Amino acid sequence: MPDVPDSPAAADSLVRIRGLRFLRGTRVIFDGVDLDIPRGRVTAVMGPSGTGKTTLLRLIGGQLRPAAGSVVLDGHEVPALRRRELYALRRRIGMLFQSGALFTDLSVFENVAFPLREHYPRLPARLLRTLVLMKLEAVGLRGARDLKPAELSGGMARRVALARAIALDPMLMLYDEPFTGQDPISMGVLVQLIRTLNDALGMTSVVVSHDVAEVCSIADYVYLISGGRVVASGTPAELRASGSDWVGQFMHGLPDGPVPFHYPARDYASELLDGGGRS
Amino acid sequence: MIAALGRWALTVFARTGRASLMLLAILAGLPSVLPRPRLLVRQLYSVGVLSLPIIVVAGLFVGMVLALQGYTTLADFGAAGSLGTVVALSLVRELGPVVAALLYAGRAGSALTAEIALMKATEQLSGMEMMAVDPVRRVLAPRFLAGILAVPLLAAIFTAVGILGGYLVGVGLLGVDDGAWWAQMQAKVQPLRDVVNGVVLKSFVFGVVANWIAVFEGHDAQPTSEGIGRATTRSVVNTSLAVLGLDFVLTALLFGGVR
Repeated sequence: MPDVPDSPAAADSLVRIRGLRFLRGTRVIFDGVDLDIPRGRVTAVMGPSGTGKTTLLRLIGGQLRPAAGSVVLDGHEVPALRRRELYALRRRIGMLFQSGALFTDLSVFENVAFPLREHYPRLPARLLRTLVLMKLEAVGLRGARDLKPAELSGGMARRVALARAIALDPMLMLYDEPFTGQDPISMGVLVQLIRTLNDALGMTSVVVSHDVAEVCSIADYVYLISGGRVVASGTPAELRASGSDWVGQFMHGLPDGPVPFHYPARDYASELLDGGGRS
Repeated sequence: MIAALGRWALTVFARTGRASLMLLAILAGLPSVLPRPRLLVRQLYSVGVLSLPIIVVAGLFVGMVLALQGYTTLADFGAAGSLGTVVALSLVRELGPVVAALLYAGRAGSALTAEIALMKATEQLSGMEMMAVDPVRRVLAPRFLAGILAVPLLAAIFTAVGILGGYLVGVGLLGVDDGAWWAQMQAKVQPLRDVVNGVVLKSFVFGVVANWIAVFEGHDAQPTSEGIGRATTRSVVNTSLAVLGLDFVLTALLFGGVR
């Protein structure tokens, strides 16, 4: 097995990514990424904006195909799956989208009921109701079941989306930037929920984010991605103590360092003296 | 210049290819709509029933104008009694299917495009995919099917109301003989040649094209507010052009030899 040194449970990983290469047009997003998502743990994937963290989730879920490399999920080579097999696999994956992706024409209850109704059309109404209420109770929104998505706050919408994502009791939960745009209270709630749901339901979770403090408080293992590669990985404590300048800058949120504050540009003085004749 | 032309051609071919693949996927997904009539009924309501007001009002006025214009010419030749035939044939063969399809594109096609594009932009389609629900079957196929059922029905209603509008003006206002109006129409308009070829066949083709374009533009839209706006415009413009172009081809094929 190639170079993923300190990966905690490489032997028992639910997702195993090797030599992943992905291009968008001619832009290289991933170039030789190796990653292991250990079973039963919360794994975080962090990195600056625009490094393709969301793309990584879509590659795991089979919504995108890599140019090269392998993505193995629970023994299935995802890019090679046929449509039917892929859909069967996705029934066991939950994904929380950054926008929540709630169906705006359906109530909270119907949103959570949606995957159950689609996949188990013969489910008795009473059982369906019980299941939906259980999922809503888990995220603390049983009382909001009759509201429409437009009536929910951002944090509540994301919790409803979370209830919907766990409706089919997935083995793997993918979180796409779950903390973006949340106030401190909903942020705390979500952080708690991700950890509690993972442990209580025996899931495996992947959290993609750049909120260092929140992620480090719940993640068992962290991968840092930048420039299309994994630049560092380890437990949150290991990364904080890392000797690398770049990792230090990212983990501690410093404005300047190996990643410069300024976007590459001409010399400042000569540009100002130029007088704007040419821009 | 040549490079731009080449780029344009490549985009057109790529879009045509994507549109064809999507149509195949939708057609393959149609059987899965049948066991779920409620999905279909809801869409029929939103593209069909809600389009009725504009179809009825437009049909009435088109029929009335036809009678007014036709009467002036026909009366010169002392053939005012044929006014009913002229109005009915124009509506059944041409104006019914064409204008109904154009109105449909503006009223329902644009809404379909915008709805699907917004679902895409808000990741609802992506979310469905990740819940192992195929958006082509769950979202696109019922809308497409409802659309191709609605367009011929709307064209038929448009035509019927148009004939009624022509009757109001021709018989009520201009004094054409009541009996001559209906008798000549009955004698000259043939069910198979005119009604089936015009309202039924043409409308069916227009319905397929209009809904195919509407659904494709929505699904292919850039997931931004600007992209949704552009997709909606393209949906209406492309449908209108396609309907008018196809109308010429269909007319040449179906009525080319008819005297």
